[in-house]
Amino acid sequence: MSLSVIAVISRFLEEYRSSTSNKLKVIDAYLLYILLTGAFQFLYCLLVGTFPFNSFLSGFISSVGSFILAVCLRIQINPQNKGDFLSVSPERAFADFLFAHTVLHLVVVNFIG
Amino acid sequence: SGLVSLLVFVLALEAQALTPSHYLVASDVDRLQAVLSQPFTDLKSAYFSVVGLSKLGVSVADSNDACSFIKANVDSSSIEALFYAAEASQAISSCEIHVSNETRDSLHAAVSEDSTVSQIHQAVSALSSLGLPLASQEVVSALKARISKEDNVVAITLALQTASRLSQQAELGEILEEIEDLAARLDDLGGVYLQFEEGLEATALFVSAAYALSDHVDMEPPLKEDQVIQLVNSIFSKKSWDSLSEAFSVASAAAALSNNRFHKPVVVSAVGPATVSHSHPLLQLHVTDVLCQPLSSANVLVESATSVASKAAILSQTPFTLRDGIFELNFMASKPASGYYQFSVAVTGDSRLVANHVELKVKVSTKVAINNMDLSVVDKDQSIGTKTTRVEYPNKGKASFIADSHQNFAMTFQLVDETTGVELTPHQTFVRLHNQKTGQEVVFVAEPDSKNLYKFELDTAERKTEFDSISGTYALYLMVGDATLENPVLWNVADVVLKFPDEEAPSTVQSKNLYVPKPEIQHLFREPEKRPPTVLSNTFTALVLSPFLLLLILWFKLGANISNFSFSPSSVLFHVGHAAMLGLMYVYWTHLNMFQTLKYLAIIGSLTFLAGNRMLAQKAVKRYSLHHL
Repeated sequence: MSLSVIAVISRFLEEYRSSTSNKLKVIDAYLLYILLTGAFQFLYCLLVGTFPFNSFLSGFISSVGSFILAVCLRIQINPQNKGDFLSVSPERAFADFLFAHTVLHLVVVNFIG
Repeated sequence: SGLVSLLVFVLALEAQALTPSHYLVASDVDRLQAVLSQPFTDLKSAYFSVVGLSKLGVSVADSNDACSFIKANVDSSSIEALFYAAEASQAISSCEIHVSNETRDSLHAAVSEDSTVSQIHQAVSALSSLGLPLASQEVVSALKARISKEDNVVAITLALQTASRLSQQAELGEILEEIEDLAARLDDLGGVYLQFEEGLEATALFVSAAYALSDHVDMEPPLKEDQVIQLVNSIFSKKSWDSLSEAFSVASAAAALSNNRFHKPVVVSAVGPATVSHSHPLLQLHVTDVLCQPLSSANVLVESATSVASKAAILSQTPFTLRDGIFELNFMASKPASGYYQFSVAVTGDSRLVANHVELKVKVSTKVAINNMDLSVVDKDQSIGTKTTRVEYPNKGKASFIADSHQNFAMTFQLVDETTGVELTPHQTFVRLHNQKTGQEVVFVAEPDSKNLYKFELDTAERKTEFDSISGTYALYLMVGDATLENPVLWNVADVVLKFPDEEAPSTVQSKNLYVPKPEIQHLFREPEKRPPTVLSNTFTALVLSPFLLLLILWFKLGANISNFSFSPSSVLFHVGHAAMLGLMYVYWTHLNMFQTLKYLAIIGSLTFLAGNRMLAQKAVKRYSLHHL
């Protein structure tokens, strides 16, 4: 049973390495970074406590928000999804990504205290 | 018998009738007169002063001066000025104002439905005071029309005043009914005051207008006796007046209430405190009207005087005698015992009198004498005979009395009325023992027995806690006091030496002082929250920042590079702008507030947007051209 899981995982990783374009891999690396940052913040909160709560929330929301926006960017940039995003060029997606981040960071910095 | 009890109940209620709690005393009337005697500044103030003083029964200081002032200041084109001049000149003897035919016509013309009630009032009063004829029925119809349009207290009061100047043959019935309607608008405050919400002046003017009109038509105004007294309370509660018009209104009301055909409120008050004694045997009362004039023609009678303590009736139907404007009664002639007496006083002789039954509490004081003061030291086992020493007030016992734990110290005495010899039981009979060395004092109460003989016993052993077991010489004082005693007593009777067993070292008594500064309270500011140790915080900071390192490594491994960076101006500007925005975020965190940030963000953001838009458009063109090669 465990063997099949490992087999599936290694197969997935192989497929990933070969079929994803570099651009997407760059974004995936960024996604991993954001994920880890958020996870470490949550770990701190679990271990040490929620003081100061507003700072924890803003940091965590920042991670989550950034992750979501990056996922959106990845989806919109992926040439395989071109059919779904006829009106959105990759440049437009990137511009949207930047604008959304500006708003997110404004809110996060306001709340971080 | 049900009817009888109902009658008794009603009579009892009537006995509780209201009496004035606020009234003018002589000094208040003088003050009112002084306010009204101020020098005139204009015609209006001359009117208030002259007419106000005449209501108080006083003539203005220099009548010739006043008359010339009025004549000089009257403006024949103003109805108001004519009103003031006419009324004032009428109040001054031998002061006549002559008006031309034109003026007379303008006054007549003012009486119409198109003028305000105030104008009609002024015109009618002027015509009446100048002795000129007027058409009363026209005035009545004009007033009726105006009352329905100007339905406020002041206007209707002026209408009542106006109606009192008209001929008695005119139909004043409807206007007379307005008195009742206005009276219904009065606010009852706590059952004590009755006044308009418009204030004192409106209430006072209403009273004078209502009585003026009632006297004119000879019909009793629809005001109950309690209401009249409540009006008295309202009008005379203020003893200093803000304006000349207010003082005038109070003087008007006082004149109306002291001299009308129907109601005459009576003010009964004691001269000084209501106390009689052998040295001051007379009970003196002021019985006056609201203007503080004594009711010389009235009969003042004590219906009953009963002792508060014993409920025994001392007097019944005893008259007061009038001397120099004060009603007197020699109460001590009835030889009352000391204490309080409830007097029920009735003022008769005039059917108009209101609040003429008054309840008064009179105190009879006396001097106390201490008889048969016997001091003795009694042995507890009664084996040795008691030695009694008599001490006469106000002397002090020559020898000290010694009492130790085997003996009791005893004191007996009698308190009697100095004049009559009747035994007294004052409220305060205390025995005070004062240790002169330590300053300690202990107070006991002496109680009378059934024969009104006072006894005090001190058991040394039993009472040692009160004395803190401090032996020594104590000065013994007797304190006698009561509200009805003219001579309270503090008598150092003797010295007593007390010996307590198990004596502790005498410590000076610290008087319990309640008024020393208390220990200062230190304010505890809110403790800041406990923070985790810095090491831990730093560790986690490093941990949270570490994925960035990982990102850089991954990107390097993926071969991400900036080799395609075009140095076009828009591209440079975009990156600079973007960096500036990130920098702004940091500055926002540290220094700025949201408003400032938004301001800067708008500037930098729009620049970055324009540059970025350009840059991305260039990139898109490049990509498009590349793909479509």
